[in-house]
Amino acid sequence: MLVELKNGETFNGHLVNCDNWMNLTLREVIQTSSDGDRFWRLTECYIRGNTIKYLRVPDEIIDMVKEDAAKQRVAGGRNSNRGGAGHSGGDQRGGHHSHQGGDRGGRGGGRGGRGDYNKTGRGGYNNSGGDRGGRGGGMRGGRGGRGASQA
Amino acid sequence: MDSFQIFTTSTSLVDSVDKKLLVVLRDGRKLIGILRSFDQFANLVLQDTIERIYVADTYGDIPRGIFIIRGENVVLLGEIDEDKEDESPLRQVPVEDVLQIQREEMEAKVKREKTKHRMLSDQGFSVDIAEFGELY
Repeated sequence: MLVELKNGETFNGHLVNCDNWMNLTLREVIQTSSDGDRFWRLTECYIRGNTIKYLRVPDEIIDMVKEDAAKQRVAGGRNSNRGGAGHSGGDQRGGHHSHQGGDRGGRGGGRGGRGDYNKTGRGGYNNSGGDRGGRGGGMRGGRGGRGASQA
Repeated sequence: MDSFQIFTTSTSLVDSVDKKLLVVLRDGRKLIGILRSFDQFANLVLQDTIERIYVADTYGDIPRGIFIIRGENVVLLGEIDEDKEDESPLRQVPVEDVLQIQREEMEAKVKREKTKHRMLSDQGFSVDIAEFGELY
């Protein structure tokens, strides 16, 4: 994957680890200066999350996410998706860490006290019809609750 | 009443998922891609992204692929109306041409700024030289 920092430097390498703050460790890195005409080879490097502008990942990643989501639906999603949202959320997080997309799922879970909010974010990552259903459910549930407490 | 509340948090992005978006970054880059996901920080996942460079009444595209954008770098984003897209008065030109014009404009701008800077400092003003990379 390619990481561009806010200062324009880029780091091209294999993601080996990440955390809830988007801190990354890469291996076999090629660092490029912001003007793009100096290069360095690094065997390993650590990038603090808050210096990142964006990440670019290979196109195949999206397919991997779809497969992953489908597998999890088969494995743990025998209940309806909506009912099991909290449970399947946990599954997804574990699953994501097995490949490069893991940082996103993990981060969403780590922050934010609002359970329904996190469900929304995580469902969105898997970008297939089933997950979108889940997200809609979360939203509607929250709003319904608010209405009821008023009445 | 409450259910009509408009969210100004990243929740309002749900409606934009799977739509084609224009995202402007703090460094001035314009990215056009399909929004696949987001989170509470408005970190974005864009698929089939192109970077579009505008110069005067022309633009050039560079295919870029999948982006995971850290939310804090986003200035604005908006859905693109694909019906109205073709009615744009702007002309698409090869990206090499656009980059060439952009380079020339940038050099002219740097020159202008330098002159300005020199004249101001002659008058006794101290001026910060603006970072050209940081538009916002």
